[in-house]
Amino acid sequence: MPSIDIVTHIGLNHYLVLSALLFVTGMAGVLLRRNVIVLLMSIELMLNAVNISFVAFSKYLDKLDGQVLVFFVMTIAAAEAAVGLAIAVSIFKRYKEVNIRFFEHLKG
Amino acid sequence: MGSDAFEITINCIKLILVFLLMVQAVPVLVWLERRGSGFIQNRFGPNRVGPLGLMQLLADAVKFLTKEEFSPKAATKLLFYAAPVFALIPGTLGFAAIPMGSPLHWGNYVFPIQGYDVGVGIVFILGVSSLGAYTILMAGWGSGNKYALMGALRASAQTISYELALGLSIVGIIMMYGSFNLSEMIHAQQGTMVFHAFGNTISTSWLPNWGIFYQPLAAIIFFSAAFAESNRLPFDLAEGEAELVAGFHTEYGGFKMLLFFIGEYGHMMVASGLMVTFFFGGYNIPWTTTEQVYQWALGLMDSSDGASALTSLVHFLSYMIKLGFFLWIFIWVRWTLPRFRYDQLMDLGWKTMLPWALANTIVSAIVIFAVSYSW
Amino acid sequence: MTADSFLFWMLAAVTLCSGLAVVVISNPIYSALCLAMSMVGVSALFATLGAYFIAGVQMIVYAGAVLVLFVMVLMLFDLKTELVTFSRGKISGLLKIATVGVLAGFLAGAFSMTIEFAEKTGAATTVPTPDTSKALGTLLFTKYILGFETLGILLLVIAIGVVGLARSKGGTHAKH
Repeated sequence: MPSIDIVTHIGLNHYLVLSALLFVTGMAGVLLRRNVIVLLMSIELMLNAVNISFVAFSKYLDKLDGQVLVFFVMTIAAAEAAVGLAIAVSIFKRYKEVNIRFFEHLKG
Repeated sequence: MGSDAFEITINCIKLILVFLLMVQAVPVLVWLERRGSGFIQNRFGPNRVGPLGLMQLLADAVKFLTKEEFSPKAATKLLFYAAPVFALIPGTLGFAAIPMGSPLHWGNYVFPIQGYDVGVGIVFILGVSSLGAYTILMAGWGSGNKYALMGALRASAQTISYELALGLSIVGIIMMYGSFNLSEMIHAQQGTMVFHAFGNTISTSWLPNWGIFYQPLAAIIFFSAAFAESNRLPFDLAEGEAELVAGFHTEYGGFKMLLFFIGEYGHMMVASGLMVTFFFGGYNIPWTTTEQVYQWALGLMDSSDGASALTSLVHFLSYMIKLGFFLWIFIWVRWTLPRFRYDQLMDLGWKTMLPWALANTIVSAIVIFAVSYSW
Repeated sequence: MTADSFLFWMLAAVTLCSGLAVVVISNPIYSALCLAMSMVGVSALFATLGAYFIAGVQMIVYAGAVLVLFVMVLMLFDLKTELVTFSRGKISGLLKIATVGVLAGFLAGAFSMTIEFAEKTGAATTVPTPDTSKALGTLLFTKYILGFETLGILLLVIAIGVVGLARSKGGTHAKH
């Protein structure tokens, strides 16, 4: 019976679907929210979703390369958060709000 | 968790026991802290309730439980009530992962004397205790009080700054023992000092094989960073009474306050436990190996099960004595040293401890490579 | 239902629900706390996949440092619940959600195609994998050494850039 099998037998596809759902949630956040910091958080969510699929593949293909890539993704995520927050802080200092729309004043 | 019902039951009971051990140690520590501070500052501590004031703990507990339950008007209710509960998590999870005695061999079963054995022990403990910053932030922001918020921001900035020095200081230890697992580290520290260098074996009979003799700088950095991690004096800027009333727990009273207390002592116990595990031989009795103690126990007991139980018990007592010593140092320092200024604190963390920890890592790596390389 | 599958479903529920809450909740501080919850869930998922070291690092780096930074910044701003949480425009909003839906469909399709390949090469093992931290380190410092070094340089550049950004035009340490 396949319907029972899906519930009890956890395989690669379960992790991949979870990863896809999490990624899509994060993407919806990036598209729909206005607060810059929430946008950054949604990006973190997307990166985490990618990490899940890296680790899942690394287990089911029995190779460690996926886990090394997770390290790289984490480093980039931390760096991105630092830069994003620094920009958000400087926007907030000027406009007392962190709406994405104030970023158009950055030009020039 | 275990292979059959008996093992699973024992392991679950063990988890509860470790938690109770941590929680029950707190009143004793509070008593010790108050009596100790009295002794250090040449005054009486609590001495009215019961012999030596020991019953003071019970009186305090009753007082805490019967206090009025309130929350400030400006508070965010959810966070305000959630924070004290979350405060228990880092200490509890961390303390349960530290080995407290040699594994008990009972029939075919092997029970490690600890809550659970995590393969990457130290990484797990660091990860869990880094969650402590959320408690502080939730309490500070949820109180709706500017002193609480300032205290929380200070405390969390301090916690994440010192986590770097804390994490880097033990890299040398991890490289030396070649493992993240705390049990393996303790196993490597038994007996008298023996090490291999340049193909020779060097041994002494008068020094125990403790980590502190290999990594003294790491021990100093780790211990002082642990003070900052657990927000204790001289690093308790979060609750500098003169500036911030009581920091992030200004608005808390009664049992909620007590939960923060337990969390803080839990942090101290994790820090002391790690200090013992990394640098002072863990549960081992100095100058002896686990095997020697087991042989001694075999002479007293007729069955191997009993001998193993006695060995575990002796090691547990040894661990508790070492743990108690470091907890006493925590208390001792609190009532001896004045508080740092905030910029001094940050300078110490980022400009002194971090570079020294990095240097220690690099030098340790070079030395370990040179010593084990076949020239 | 075995313990493994129960664990997976529970963790997946926690991770997804808190991930959804990040996007839906209008108070950014609750969003950040939910994201922290989601990170802890992801870390536990890594542990179920046998990547214990990665799980610990996820906990230390993401939940312990990056997210604390987010929460701290949000508390410093002291933003209350946002009146307008989502961007304006009903049609463009629907369009965005539709885009996301299409992407989800594409991903599902792509996965269902790759899965046969993956299940053929690596049989799902039920035995817990041994600690792979050592092999991971070796791989990081041999095959991926170039990427590792590049990341080091990137981090240095970013550290300098962020300090520069934070100091400009009056920060907490500005000279007026």
